[in-house]
Amino acid sequence: MSADDYKVTVAKDIADLIPVFMKNRHKELDALRVALAAADFEQLRQLGHRMKGVGNSYGFARVSTIGKYIEDGARSGDRAALQASISEYGDYLSKVQIAYE
Amino acid sequence: MRVLLIDDEEDFRNLLSRYIRGQWADAEIEPYDPLERELPDAAFPLRSYDVIILDYMLGRGDGLEWLKSLKQREDCPKILFLTGAGNEIIAVRAMKAGADDYQRKQELTRERLITSIRDLTATEVERTVSPDLAARMEGHSLGAKVRIPGIKVLHLIGEGGTARVYLASREDDDEPLVVKILRQEIVLNKKAMERFMEEYAMVERIQSRHVARIVGHGNYQNNFYLVMEFFEGGDLSKRLGGKPVPPAEALQFFRELMFALGDIHEKGILHRDLKPQNLMFRRDGSLAIVDFGIAKNIAAADRTGAGEVLGTPRYMSPEQVQGRALDLRTDIYSAGVLLYQMLTGKHLFDGETAMEVAMHHLNTVPPPLPEHLAQYEGLVDKLVEKDREARFRNADEVIGFLARKFEQQPAAVIDKTLQLH
Repeated sequence: MSADDYKVTVAKDIADLIPVFMKNRHKELDALRVALAAADFEQLRQLGHRMKGVGNSYGFARVSTIGKYIEDGARSGDRAALQASISEYGDYLSKVQIAYE
Repeated sequence: MRVLLIDDEEDFRNLLSRYIRGQWADAEIEPYDPLERELPDAAFPLRSYDVIILDYMLGRGDGLEWLKSLKQREDCPKILFLTGAGNEIIAVRAMKAGADDYQRKQELTRERLITSIRDLTATEVERTVSPDLAARMEGHSLGAKVRIPGIKVLHLIGEGGTARVYLASREDDDEPLVVKILRQEIVLNKKAMERFMEEYAMVERIQSRHVARIVGHGNYQNNFYLVMEFFEGGDLSKRLGGKPVPPAEALQFFRELMFALGDIHEKGILHRDLKPQNLMFRRDGSLAIVDFGIAKNIAAADRTGAGEVLGTPRYMSPEQVQGRALDLRTDIYSAGVLLYQMLTGKHLFDGETAMEVAMHHLNTVPPPLPEHLAQYEGLVDKLVEKDREARFRNADEVIGFLARKFEQQPAAVIDKTLQLH
């Protein structure tokens, strides 16, 4: 991903919601890792689906995109693809830069 | 205002609550987490809410089942149902199950949410006083009134200058469809009406997978309607969102557009109004052209009056701006303008007024593509040549050019890029 892919602009009036949002994303990452280790594809599908729904709403389009990959990967049972997407998600969450306007 | 907000995602509940309170500061919002609570039972005071917002996927349980159950109660308030994008059959089922409105969750903006809640909770006085609201209410009631054999008109989803657009479904199998009902001012305008009928006749004649499939048309109590397939992938404008798409994807869309133009030109039809809003995607990603409202059958009498210029200035060919006789190459030019926009995320020409933009098409040399897109320069240049004699002559010629210049790329590279969206 390019540096721009890690930049997110969020409306100022929801700035106070972002700490909880980010905390939930990190918890989600942990849950994804646990589900992958347990090969719990239904749980992975549900987590991916929720990421897909919530990411764009807050302006984090990448969260939605990765959520879609995870949902698709869980449906097809593709462990390698899931592993790659979860790694990408971890990388994204560790580097994302948020600007408020 | 009291709102019951049923969704299994805490962040989504927080966000919607914030949007609602931003509009109605004294709103009381009850977040309802279906992962922790069961379906509201008979003792739950539904009547005390003005509106329920209900997600279609509740983590456990099915939002549609909750909807049906809630709607069986006499004290159930209006329900705004949230569906997944690209799965309109859920919207169809929700509306049939009694939802009062639906929104695609992934596309739910502050404005859409507020508009929807306002429509659902407006008092009779508000419905009369606000022109926007009154117009939407009129649209809703018209949709509820029109009867089409085998088709159920479900919900107003858009309003254009010539028609109102509704989500509908085929009664046999719930297949989502779109019904366009012509505005009365168009029905009363002989020339506009002739255009509409010509559009229907032309599109029906084309029979191409690259053109919107028409299911039927007719007239119910002087309301003329057209029934067509529903495009779950939305339009190119939505795909672009003001940004470029990866070059391989842009080229893929453009190639599809060329196949579409090949099909319609073969039938002797010029589209004349290609723009992102008129290029629709199906669920499988295939592209189709819609809105042949100002298309022209090359062999037929032109309904365009002398000197009358039709089209969208941003995508008009120079000859269109001049009001000259048109041929296939006008659509080729517009497609080139679209390719430029897909590659760069910018319009080929900008201006303060439509006239200024139109004059750029006539007189201004197109800006070069950024350096990283230099390999597409030759293609774009030949598409947007001001002198149509120097332009590609037809879609086949463009497709041949694409094959020679770009299709030697390894398929894996293209596939990987396409997966990014």
